[in-house]
Amino acid sequence: MKARTILLASHGTAGAKAAETAAFGLCEPGGRIRHLVVVPDFWKGMLGDDWLNNAAVHVRFGRYVEGQLEREIVAHAETVAAEAKRRGFDYDCEVRLGKPAECLVAVAGKEAFDLVVVGSPRPKGAPGLRSRMDPETLAKGLTVPLLTVPHPGRDGGRRKDKE
Amino acid sequence: MVYTRKSPAVLIIGLVLLAYWFAVNGGYLDETLKYLNTTRAKPEMIQLSLIFGIVSVAAGLWYLFGPHEEGELDYYASTIAGGMFILALAMIVRWYLDPGVAKLSREIGPVLPGKRFIHDMFGLNYIVLGIVAGMIIVNVLKIPDWAQNGVRLSRLGLKTGVILLGTLYSLGELVQLGKLSVVLIGFFVLGSVGLVLWIGARRHIPNSMAGVLSAGIGVCGVSAAVASAPVVQAKSEEIAYTIGTVLVFGVVCMFLFPVIGHLTGMGHVQFGAWAGTGILNSAQVAGAALAFQPDGIETLKVAEIFNITRVLFLPIIVLWLAVWYVRREESVGRTVQQVDTTRVIFEKFPLFVLGFILMFALSSTGIFAPAQHTSGRYFDNSKSKLLVEKDINTLKAESSKLKRDDQKQALNRLLESKKAMSIDHDTTLRGIVNSGVLSRDANAVLTRAHNAAYQTSKKIAAFRDWLTWLFAFGLTGLGMQITMAAMRQAGGQPLVIGGAVGTVKAVFSLIVVLMFVRETI
Repeated sequence: MKARTILLASHGTAGAKAAETAAFGLCEPGGRIRHLVVVPDFWKGMLGDDWLNNAAVHVRFGRYVEGQLEREIVAHAETVAAEAKRRGFDYDCEVRLGKPAECLVAVAGKEAFDLVVVGSPRPKGAPGLRSRMDPETLAKGLTVPLLTVPHPGRDGGRRKDKE
Repeated sequence: MVYTRKSPAVLIIGLVLLAYWFAVNGGYLDETLKYLNTTRAKPEMIQLSLIFGIVSVAAGLWYLFGPHEEGELDYYASTIAGGMFILALAMIVRWYLDPGVAKLSREIGPVLPGKRFIHDMFGLNYIVLGIVAGMIIVNVLKIPDWAQNGVRLSRLGLKTGVILLGTLYSLGELVQLGKLSVVLIGFFVLGSVGLVLWIGARRHIPNSMAGVLSAGIGVCGVSAAVASAPVVQAKSEEIAYTIGTVLVFGVVCMFLFPVIGHLTGMGHVQFGAWAGTGILNSAQVAGAALAFQPDGIETLKVAEIFNITRVLFLPIIVLWLAVWYVRREESVGRTVQQVDTTRVIFEKFPLFVLGFILMFALSSTGIFAPAQHTSGRYFDNSKSKLLVEKDINTLKAESSKLKRDDQKQALNRLLESKKAMSIDHDTTLRGIVNSGVLSRDANAVLTRAHNAAYQTSKKIAAFRDWLTWLFAFGLTGLGMQITMAAMRQAGGQPLVIGGAVGTVKAVFSLIVVLMFVRETI
């Protein structure tokens, strides 16, 4: 099965990289990949209960975090874009702030996609931030087929055993 | 951008407050107040609900009908809504939830010897309940749009509270607490920062991760993480991990510390010193101190000196981490941006500490407490100022509980003279109360002896009342900024290292405080 236009949600984690690989493998030659990067809205609460610092420190921290997130997103998008170009796909990237599942549903509803591809949450014990992609929101909100790619760490050593 | 939201909510809050003022002032709620045992708070209810009812109605009318244009007036006026939202919540918690929980807890009965009820044990008072209510609102119900912009006013409330707290210290207290806090904070802050960096190097976590985590765990929680993240160039993931870890640890400590404090029989000075050293987040230090001693501010006074000392250490630690980070990165051949040390020191210096010092200096001149307010108390032998036979018998029955010679002597002197004879004598007697060695009845007798000899000036008493509300307002608002989403980011190596070092710091500082910190400051 191949898809002409794919909406890919990824943000550079191991699970998301598996989704990228799957999306590249499933896209028709000359097809299009729309890359969605969501900055989770938990960053709004990341000043936590800090009250000691001056406003200047808060402003510097806010600018630093925004700059850092942007650097990380740009670096990640450039990697995905380079791979898409190498394989001859049409590629573009969109960055949104909010709840990942809600953003994905909103973007999927804007255009006609053949397939939505996402990674799966990291297995227990694997390094990385907690996944904020709510599968129920996706299941209820998407009108496009959804592919959830297994996390590379999820099958442990089973594949090797089979080999 | 226009910040003001055309919402009737603030007007409604104002009308409810005015209706409440009318009901309390007219005596319609007397039975309820009597049932909740809050009749004492009636004057406060009348005053606050009237003042803030009028403010809220005026602001609400302005929101609905005023011409709102982009500018500073619009921005500052828009924050009133959030402030009123927090205040209304703090009033509900202080006047109804807190006494309601206490009443229920008393009806359940004591759970530990010494008449310790559930709400005593877990410190379920207006401060802790306010923080929890704030957390429930932000995480479950969501802060309404019209209030979003003013929630940050809680920080202003806390800073103003600390500044006002400056009026309540004597020079002797400040010097002794200052020395104690510099020693304890110096040892534990430097020790825990160093320990995180050392473990981080052994477990091969990135320097930026170790840097931001060590500040969060070592100095003052989220505040230190916020201050240090840019100088150690922490990645977004590392910041999220650290803040999540610190918030989880802080919330657990806020509930656990008062319980341990009561179980180990700590006095106010000991608990204030321990909370000020062992709890990571400075807001939760104040929360735990007020949870431990809701009906007085001795513990808060000690804890806040420790808080201030930690904040003063912050620029130094950030500078250290900046230099450490640059050296570590350069040693492995990476090029990093050099740090402007002067800017770090000036930018990270907490300006509100200057306000605290100013208020302390003004208070020392006697401007808030004229000399006349205590005149004659030490020399007044009128019967109303002396202990009666029943009081003496209560104290005699428990005198064997005292172990320290100075406290035994002070109690004997009180029994002989039936009154506190000097400031030193009174201070030692206060130390006995603070140590919690004697029963509630005996402590009540000692407190009466203290009140007969020492009378707080009206202005200082007013400052205390304001303080209570500023901290209630500030901590309820801060509760609204502790999101589960941020706490859920805790995990991985940072949680393991941070949790281990935080626990070591809490346990070791508990031992040191119990062994070396005396009650009389």
